Amino acid sequence: MNWDIANKNFYRQGLRAFLNVLVTALSIIALIFMLSLLNGFQAQATRNLVSTDVGGGHYRVPGLDILTPTEWEDFTMTVPPVLASLPKTDKAEVLVQQGQLYPNRRLFPVQLRGIEMDQSLLSLPLAGLKLYDDKLRDVIPAVVGVKMARKAHLKKGDTVVLKWRDKGGAVDARDVLIVDVGDIINPRVDDGVVWLRLDHLRTMTDRENEVSWVAVREFLGPVQGFEFHGIELLMSDLLALLRQDRINSKILWGILMVLVCTSVFNTQILNIFKRQKEIGTLMALGMAPGRIVRIFTLEGVLAAFWALVLALFLGVPFFIWFQGVGFDVSHLSEASFPIRETIYPDYQPREILVSVLIVFALIIASAWVPVKKIIRLDPTLALRGRAIT
Amino acid sequence: MIFMRNKIASALVCIYMLVTPCHAEEIDAQKLLEQVDDNLWANTKFITGRLIIDNGRKVRTLVQDSWMEGVDRSYSHYKSPAREKGTKMLKIAGKLWMYTPRTDRKILIAGHLLRQSMMGSDLSYEDMMEDHKLSRSYSATHEGFEELSGTRCAILKLVARDKKTTYQTRKVWISPKRKTVLKEERFAKSGKLLKRIMFKDYEQIGERLFPRTMVFRDMLKENTQTTYKFDVIKFDVEIPKKYFSQSILKR
Repeated sequence: MNWDIANKNFYRQGLRAFLNVLVTALSIIALIFMLSLLNGFQAQATRNLVSTDVGGGHYRVPGLDILTPTEWEDFTMTVPPVLASLPKTDKAEVLVQQGQLYPNRRLFPVQLRGIEMDQSLLSLPLAGLKLYDDKLRDVIPAVVGVKMARKAHLKKGDTVVLKWRDKGGAVDARDVLIVDVGDIINPRVDDGVVWLRLDHLRTMTDRENEVSWVAVREFLGPVQGFEFHGIELLMSDLLALLRQDRINSKILWGILMVLVCTSVFNTQILNIFKRQKEIGTLMALGMAPGRIVRIFTLEGVLAAFWALVLALFLGVPFFIWFQGVGFDVSHLSEASFPIRETIYPDYQPREILVSVLIVFALIIASAWVPVKKIIRLDPTLALRGRAIT
Repeated sequence: MIFMRNKIASALVCIYMLVTPCHAEEIDAQKLLEQVDDNLWANTKFITGRLIIDNGRKVRTLVQDSWMEGVDRSYSHYKSPAREKGTKMLKIAGKLWMYTPRTDRKILIAGHLLRQSMMGSDLSYEDMMEDHKLSRSYSATHEGFEELSGTRCAILKLVARDKKTTYQTRKVWISPKRKTVLKEERFAKSGKLLKRIMFKDYEQIGERLFPRTMVFRDMLKENTQTTYKFDVIKFDVEIPKKYFSQSILKR
């Protein structure tokens, strides 16, 4: 009975009801889109970092800070047997040192990153280096990423001078041959990085068997002399950024919800103002005020329900289309985000369900708050249309 | 017969000595290096100099006063340009402190920071601080002679005695007559030429011959050079103790 009355009243609202439904539906779509896009961004950034740099975590020399290049030379250690004995699929030994490249005879400070050639834990375009043996010759083979090549004006086949220091501090310099310009999806291991064979870098710097860290597939427990940095720690800056982004998106979503709730609230206020005589008549005929409140609130619930239907109708084709084209974020790689390609939203059913339920609850609340005053309404005044002025 | 053989031998020796006089000139490389060090070295020095930095696009001139004591202690005070005026550098043993009036702070430039370019010049802080006797750090061998700006120079190859020495090999062109260095080249471990220094305008200052101009070139860079001109040089001067104390690093 309540449902029938509410349904009839809702449809009688016409355009007002439709606008409420439309605004709510668009808000639901925007909310799901924002959340899914952030999920997609995080998932893709994590995947790129894990596959090119982080693996399942690093066993690092304690004190090593990748953001302090002047101290890289002080934080290297011999690989402990427990890590050295791991299969090549489960670990990648990495040595990081400072260097100075002289493209076009101009100084360009670089990070020299030596990595094992037979490792398969990290996916990097270093096939060009595998063609060389472990013997260091007059010309050292090196690979740079696309971004680094663009910044330093380098191309495949170029020879440039590289200067570095050995373990004792003696300065050394040789020609470096750019054997390949690799397409590295993570700008953090592209920008300013010169990739070398680990055995070459060790010989160049007199650091036999030394590493800055060992990337592993998974945590293997404590290792003497090394400290473990998990994926979350190694990605902490990015995760903090995403956390901030989520807060920002919540603020935006909050603004949207205020607009939706205001719209519903406003409609309900207008409803009871315009329908005072109807309310008074129902009360005079003996309908309990609580029931009248329920009928009016049900009208709000109907708005939320149809908003959900419309969101499905408009949103599903949009999300399917967007999943095909994605979101171009190539500009982000300039800001060292570990994402260079198009990102695609990652839809989490549980997250969507919770969000929709919150929207539902908010709409019901904003439909109920303005009509609850009906309980205190004087039927005689309501019949004359003077109960609410 | 024996008499005849001795005569021929004596004649051959005489001919050899007349024809190839330069081959007969023996150079004790290490001793020559020590003599060069003795000429340049003093317990204390005071220098007013100009550091002219040409990076290929712009030329900047820094004017500084420097006081040096032995190998371990030196203090420099920059007087111009306006941007660098009041900057002070204090070196004590292996540490270098830099004070800039704009920040009103002193910074310790140690370890790897010493290898950075000093104020955009062709010298690193390490190069600037370097004030050790070459004869102590390097073993010298004589490689030959070469004419340089009209002066006949002995070329000495210097190989570092310690593996930790920054430049493992150097070449110096020394006038054996005047015991002065005219040119120096510094090499990487691989043998690649890194820096070239020309010593010019030698002048008699007291008992020493000292170059008024030193031109540094980073051979890996293009069109850059740093000229160090010494306008005032005084040897064995008395330096107030406060100059080698960190308390001087303030306005």
